[in-house]
Amino acid sequence: MTRPHSPITDNYLAGLLLDTSPYLSCDECFENMDIYVEKIIADPEHQDVPMQVHLAGCPACAEEADTLVELLTSEPA
Amino acid sequence: MTLMQPVTSATEQPSDESWVADLTDPGPSGLAAQRTLHDLLLRAARLQVWRLRHQLPGAGSVDLEDLAQQAADDALMAVLSKLDTFEGRSRFTTWVYKFGILHAGVAVRRQAWRHREVPLFDSIHSPDPGSTPEAYAESSDLLRAVEAAITHDLTSHQRRVALALLVDHVPIDVLAERLSTSRNALYKTLHDARQRLRESLCASGHLDPAPHRSTP
Repeated sequence: MTRPHSPITDNYLAGLLLDTSPYLSCDECFENMDIYVEKIIADPEHQDVPMQVHLAGCPACAEEADTLVELLTSEPA
Repeated sequence: MTLMQPVTSATEQPSDESWVADLTDPGPSGLAAQRTLHDLLLRAARLQVWRLRHQLPGAGSVDLEDLAQQAADDALMAVLSKLDTFEGRSRFTTWVYKFGILHAGVAVRRQAWRHREVPLFDSIHSPDPGSTPEAYAESSDLLRAVEAAITHDLTSHQRRVALALLVDHVPIDVLAERLSTSRNALYKTLHDARQRLRESLCASGHLDPAPHRSTP
C-alpha cells in the first residue's frame, strides 16, 4: 500500500505503550461484562483489575460496557 | 418504525428461572417469551445504535432502526444458542442486554466501514523529522524510540495490527473481518505488541518497568 498511515504522534504513545497485563481476552471480557457492570453500579469503588485493564486497552469492549451501564442506570429501580 | 432516542421503561419481568424455563418451552409460552426477549434485545440494540450514530453520518432514522432490528434478530439467535451457559451470576436481563449491545455495535462499525479501505502497513511512516529544526524538536525522544521499536522489535503481523488499531483507528471487529480472524486473536496480537514495545523501551531506559499488578 502506498498511502502512508496516519503519522505517529505523541498522542498515540499512551495507547501503544499501555500495560495490558494481566491479559484478558475479549471473549472473557464479554463473559464477565454483565457481572462486572452490575457490581460497578452497586459499588463504584469495586475493583476488578483484569476487567479494568482490558477495558482501558480495548475501545470496543469499553464502549459496550459503557452502554450497558447507561442502559441499566436509565431503568427505574 | 423509526429509531427515536431510546427511552427505557420498567416492565414486569419474569424471574430469571422463569425466563430460562419459558424460553425452552416448545409451546405458546416459549414463543411469547421469545417475543419479550426480542423486545429486550431491541431496547439494548437501539441504545447502542443511538450512541454510535455519529459513525454513520449519512444514515437516517429508518436506516438506524433497520440496523437495530437486524442486530436484535442476530442477538436473539445468539442468546437462544447460549441459554444453557447462563449461570445466574447477574440478572437475566443484564446478561441478555450485553448480546444486544454487542451485535448492534458490530453492525454499526461494519456499516460505517463497509466502503472504506482498511489500511494495513508493514512499515512505519514518519514525516521527515529533519526537514526543519522545529519539526525535529517537536518529535520527542520517546516518540523516536517508539518508532524504532515498532520497526525493529515487532513482527510484521504485530506492526500491521498495532498501526491499524491504534494509529489508523480501524475498529477491532472490522479489522478481524477483513483479516478473516477474530477479535480475540487481534487483541492478543495487540497485547503482545504492547508488551514488546514496553520491554524495548524499558531496555533502552525510556520507560520504567511497571510494578506488578496484584489481582484478588
